[in-house]
Amino acid sequence: MRTNQEYLIKYKDGNLYCELADIWIDPIKPVKRALITHAHFDHFTFGCEEYLSTNETAILLKERVGDNIKIKTFDYGEEFKINGINISFHPSGHILGSSQIRFIFADEKWLISGDFKLQKDETCKQYEIVKTDYLISECTFGLPIFKWDETNKIANDISKWITHSPEKTSLLFCYSLGKAQRLINEISQTNFKGNIYSHGSIYKMSNCYKELGIDIKDTIKIENKKKIDELKGSLLLLPTSLSKGSFLKNFKNIQTAFASGWMSIRALRKRSGYDKGFAISDHADWDGILEVVKKSEAKNVFFHHGDSEALSKYLVEKESINVLLFGK
Amino acid sequence: MSLKKFSELFGDLDSINSTNNKIEVLKRYFLSNEPIDNSWAIYLLTGKSNKRFISGRNLKNLFSQIYEYPQWLIDTCYLKVGDSAEVITLLLKNKTTSRNKKLSNISLNQLLSKIIPELSKLNDEEKNLQIKNIWETLPEDNHLIFNKILTGTFRVGVSIGLITKSISKLINIDEEIISHRLMGNFKPSIDSYEFLINKNINLEELNSKPYPFLLANNFEDKIFKNSINDFQFEWKYDGIRMQLIKRSGNVSLWTRGQELVNESFPELVDKISYIKDDFVLDGELLVWNFKEQIAFDFSFLQKRINRKSPTRSIQIKYPIIFIAYDLLEINGRDIREILLENRRIELEKYYSEWQNKTKNNITDIFRICDLIYPKDWSDALNFKEKSRENNTEGLILKNKRSPYTSGRKKGIWWKYKVDPMQLDAVLIYAKGGSGRRAGLYTDYSFALWKDQKLIKFASAYSGLTNIEIKELDKWIRKNTIEKFGPVRSLKPEMVFEISFEKIQISKRHKSGIAVRFPRITKWRKDKKINDADSLKNAFELMKKIS
Repeated sequence: MRTNQEYLIKYKDGNLYCELADIWIDPIKPVKRALITHAHFDHFTFGCEEYLSTNETAILLKERVGDNIKIKTFDYGEEFKINGINISFHPSGHILGSSQIRFIFADEKWLISGDFKLQKDETCKQYEIVKTDYLISECTFGLPIFKWDETNKIANDISKWITHSPEKTSLLFCYSLGKAQRLINEISQTNFKGNIYSHGSIYKMSNCYKELGIDIKDTIKIENKKKIDELKGSLLLLPTSLSKGSFLKNFKNIQTAFASGWMSIRALRKRSGYDKGFAISDHADWDGILEVVKKSEAKNVFFHHGDSEALSKYLVEKESINVLLFGK
Repeated sequence: MSLKKFSELFGDLDSINSTNNKIEVLKRYFLSNEPIDNSWAIYLLTGKSNKRFISGRNLKNLFSQIYEYPQWLIDTCYLKVGDSAEVITLLLKNKTTSRNKKLSNISLNQLLSKIIPELSKLNDEEKNLQIKNIWETLPEDNHLIFNKILTGTFRVGVSIGLITKSISKLINIDEEIISHRLMGNFKPSIDSYEFLINKNINLEELNSKPYPFLLANNFEDKIFKNSINDFQFEWKYDGIRMQLIKRSGNVSLWTRGQELVNESFPELVDKISYIKDDFVLDGELLVWNFKEQIAFDFSFLQKRINRKSPTRSIQIKYPIIFIAYDLLEINGRDIREILLENRRIELEKYYSEWQNKTKNNITDIFRICDLIYPKDWSDALNFKEKSRENNTEGLILKNKRSPYTSGRKKGIWWKYKVDPMQLDAVLIYAKGGSGRRAGLYTDYSFALWKDQKLIKFASAYSGLTNIEIKELDKWIRKNTIEKFGPVRSLKPEMVFEISFEKIQISKRHKSGIAVRFPRITKWRKDKKINDADSLKNAFELMKKIS
């Protein structure tokens, strides 16, 4: 077996790094060259000399952080070469523009899954199965207790939650990029026919989706926060940052909920402080991770972003797949 | 009516925080379901049943056997979820989604009065098969309820008070009456529900039942503004709160937890039955130290409470006493509306009669509480500080001019507990929590210094805020020295103020001391580990107290 030093991609200072190409993947500190899998802030940091991403990711990022960054963009599947390594982006189904990144060097294939999901999501491209020798996969929800319901079931639950309390304003908290747009479209297809309002940060992202050719149902931008109490029977989509602090204390006539995969566990639901939790995620569940590992045909798998102990043991024992650990 | 409705009720109650909304949801449920199902719902929601048909451990084993699922994987999941019934519910999603069996639509009554009792008659193999069959034919939404009933872990943030209020609103009858009807052994049946919602109040049926208890609030500083003479002062005993009822010659002992405990204390029932009057007394049951005339620890009571029909030698070894502090009913007359100072006069008058006229001596098992007469508030504080000497928890202040109401109404009774003892200790171990705290390290062990070594002296898991718990959890994960199963040993760095009620010598503990009710009262971020207390400090504290 090779040591950490000998792998094409390794773990360095808490980030994935390809030494041969001198390129970092979603670094959390400024570096020379950074591959960005998608436009969520926990995968982006300011101050890199150059960013490389898909076209959609670049546009979303610029919308969020301004034009003052240098990004080189690529289409899905388009190969480019750095120091003899062929690199390409492939759809990961997480949010619009999100990607897996494949490296090919001297007949050896490496695949970084990025954040991914297999569930259907009409606001972004479906996950593409990519074959590889080495797979570096996220495992945020790497336990079998995570099994996502069909998206339309959750959307119907949300619709019921709103319509059962017509005398209240329903506040649904979620990530403003990706999850919000997915929810808007899904909820629009349910029996809930009331108004959907969205917070400025979400509204902005939805517009960006529309400009990129994704059909996001129209929502009303929340202009006057003081009036939230009066929007009885309506749904408001808000970023999670607003659920902390004093924002909620101003309102009496509301019910709150949080849309996240973690909400499938009662203890976490209770601890979250929201009235209700809806288990909907843009990450793969246990079955999703297993499916990707198998279909990628990888002989060697690494995990990051999550607790991988159980998942690794399971793959080794039940599926005879070689799970490797990064030397840190 | 299907189990589905009850599952929905459970889900709704679990996700509503407002009391009024919970009451509305309950009312709606009671109105739209059959009496028998309502009766079972009340039975489950009020925690009348904690009967366990299968332990959490066995439920996990069973799942593992049925589906050939690795036990270690279930255990890992459990650490995240913290509840066996819920883990299995979540894992079942993977097993039953592609099923094609016809789903069954059973009622709560069928489940509880037929299916589950029959389950306990089967042998292990049949039982496994039957549970598997139920899992695979029960709609997915009902799995949690089914598993929770199986494991007897049915808790959902609904108090008896809430059920009482809902029914009271449903039929427009005083809460006190409903509360009365709900007390004691509630047996689920159509009759018991019809009785509960009966608009005619039948006095005879209520005969053996206790009154709703009046509960004390925590002391507030604003009380110092009142005159000391407004209050009756008593010691706050650490025993079992109890109503002693004698009606038509029958004696019943009811705990505040609404249990009838006659069988555990036959000697008390026997002595009381010699008294000529009928009455209802409110008081405290204690194991009494006759030599020093003070109560023994609560731990002595635990030797008695769970033991039905105690032997003569147990009765002698742990002698009990009932200390009455209030008279609620005398010879059929409900006197709860009479003011406390007058009830006290009645209590003293009757007690002295009973003392003199009852054939057998009753004073060795039944007394009335002594009152304390502090001159002013600072004197009251002195009394409070002395409470440790006579093994009480502090003082109870009762408004002399108050009636006996039900529940925790403000301004009637106040508990004024003695300040806890405290030591600053170093966090050395952490263990994962369960239930609501699953997935977080919330059970902590603390150590004191001895010869430059840290010796474990107490474990505690309560007292931190949710934000502090999360912060500490993060720290724990980063500062683990070693993992032993669910326990982590930690870098000694964090100091906490630990409060407790009692400290005594213990040969069973390495530290040589044992403390009662240890809890975290402050995260001493301002302190370094060298500032923490030593075992020597602990022994000095013990000396000072005794």
